[in-house]
Amino acid sequence: MISRRVLELLTALLTGSFGLAVIISSLDNGIGWGEAGVDPGTFPFLTGVIILAGSLYNLARGWLAAGIAVSRADLRRIAGLFVPAAIFVGAVPLAGMYVASAGYIFGVLALAKHQSLARSLIIAVATPVALYIVFERMFQVSLPHGELAAALGY
Amino acid sequence: MENLEALLHGFAIALSAQHLVLMVVGVLLGILVGVLPGLGAPNGVSLLLPLTFGMQPVSAIILLSSMYWGALFGGSVTSILFNIPGEPSSVATTFDGYPMAREGRPTTALATAFGSAAFGALVGVILITFLASWVAQVALAFGPAEYFAVYFLAFASFVGMGGAAPMKTVVALAIGFAIAAIGIDTVSGSVRLTMGVDELVKGVSFVVAVMGLFGIGELLIAVEEEIHARAVSSKIDWLEVFRAVARLPKHATALLRSAAIGCWMGITPGGPTAASFMSYGIAKRFSRRGQRFGSGEVEGIIAPETADHAAGTSALLPMLSLGIPGSATAAVMMGGLMIWGLNPGPMLFVDQKDFVWGLIASMYVGNIVAVALVLLTVPVFAALMRIPFVIIAPLIVIICAVGAYSVSNSYLDIVLMLGFGVVGYLFKKLSYPLAPLVLAIVIGDKAEDAFRQSMLMSKGSLEIFFDNRLVTSLVIVGIALLLLPLLLQVLRLLRGGAEARHEKVRVI
Repeated sequence: MISRRVLELLTALLTGSFGLAVIISSLDNGIGWGEAGVDPGTFPFLTGVIILAGSLYNLARGWLAAGIAVSRADLRRIAGLFVPAAIFVGAVPLAGMYVASAGYIFGVLALAKHQSLARSLIIAVATPVALYIVFERMFQVSLPHGELAAALGY
Repeated sequence: MENLEALLHGFAIALSAQHLVLMVVGVLLGILVGVLPGLGAPNGVSLLLPLTFGMQPVSAIILLSSMYWGALFGGSVTSILFNIPGEPSSVATTFDGYPMAREGRPTTALATAFGSAAFGALVGVILITFLASWVAQVALAFGPAEYFAVYFLAFASFVGMGGAAPMKTVVALAIGFAIAAIGIDTVSGSVRLTMGVDELVKGVSFVVAVMGLFGIGELLIAVEEEIHARAVSSKIDWLEVFRAVARLPKHATALLRSAAIGCWMGITPGGPTAASFMSYGIAKRFSRRGQRFGSGEVEGIIAPETADHAAGTSALLPMLSLGIPGSATAAVMMGGLMIWGLNPGPMLFVDQKDFVWGLIASMYVGNIVAVALVLLTVPVFAALMRIPFVIIAPLIVIICAVGAYSVSNSYLDIVLMLGFGVVGYLFKKLSYPLAPLVLAIVIGDKAEDAFRQSMLMSKGSLEIFFDNRLVTSLVIVGIALLLLPLLLQVLRLLRGGAEARHEKVRVI
């Protein structure tokens, strides 16, 4: 269970630290008025300051927020979607887009959501085939094949 | 009259067989992404982008804009039949559309929605036809300072009138600007904000951000709300379609008012979502039957639908004539324009007449095609909704991953996309607006360039923004818009804010 306050504070901290990172990073490029006009770091620096200041304001406001934002059941459903998706993204460099997406679909449908084996298999195979036809063949966009395919000599 | 001549020439381009086919394809794909929760118009258009690189710019923009119209219509179908808004901008349509459909009048609800949507779109296109070239002519005289002032005005109006908490809008905008600055600086050539990751030198494409923010983010919201498709019958009674459309003129006031709200919000750039909510709220307040809103009132459907489409269409006006998109989808299309080598802004009306007028003419034709197709395909797409969400969700994740990757064949983009997904979820959940974030990513560089060029001209003095009447008034209106929320808050405090404290912030 996550309260609205925690979520607000978390988000404000996230945006605030991004703002801080932008400020620090833009200092490398120089800020202010240089020989060639406005230094390249100036604009990012200003946006960083605005992000940080705004986040601090939101942080203070977030403290006042009340109520529950995400219930335990909500959280479980979100994790049920996000965790497999993250594993899929993590698997792409190794297994390649095609194998990873087939495995991802099969895993989610057959193992997590208890769909029938036949149905899961069909969708798991059809997806990469459709991707291959549309991207690799029709539009000549090469999707990552992965180290696995490279090791096998494709 | 010159405009009408140019428009006729545009029709000659738009009505070619190839372009009609593209419109049909675009509209169908649009309805598809509109119907599927988790995929929306910004995503759909970004997904198609890489596939348009080999096309003529006119053909490409006709395909993309048709997809936009299709998505706007598709979103209403699921709102009415399933009580699931396929698009954020059709949330307000569920308020009265679904109750009416549940009462056994789905055809009436759909026909009313499409009829008023078509009217809204028509008003938007007419506005573009007559105003766009005039605005562009004025804008031709703009220097960098005027441009920066216009950008400033656009961003300020998000803060002042977007409807979300002003400070959250400011943070979303500034994050967009910072993301736009990542990579090689176009003016000095130095590398900025890569924070040690070499791959970031190429910058972060708005497509990657859109895939994550709107795709994964919306998907996470959808699973959390645990949508159930409880469909009402989706059979279309054709006679009732005509009867419902014939009844529309009776609600002329509501139609005109909603179209005006939509056009205003589309140009300023509040976007279709804010427009539909605002129009619904105003209709409820002014209608004689306002009390019965929410139980299947006709005007409760007319108001959000007309405004939604009027805003969606007129969002292209500032994009074409000033290079400032009025909605997230328009921002994505403008990104496309820049990739195709066109320079969005007033010069389009001089250099690319075929492109501009072909597009404007195609908006008339495309919306007619969209109305016809959406009516014909309601049963098909309604059947699609019966596919369990557990199957659709991983497919959408894969589509978003492929879409992010295909921008520049980089694995890092897939990872970033997933990160944007988390941000999108958090932002949606906490009512941070997403449209300004995307807008800032797309035009952040241009705004910065305009600022730096004006600084070069004035040798570092900010006085250039108060140099002549035009730029001064733009800047002052912008500042006024920025201060508007503050002013309203003070007023509310003075009035004694017992009721104000309970007022909820409208969500974009």
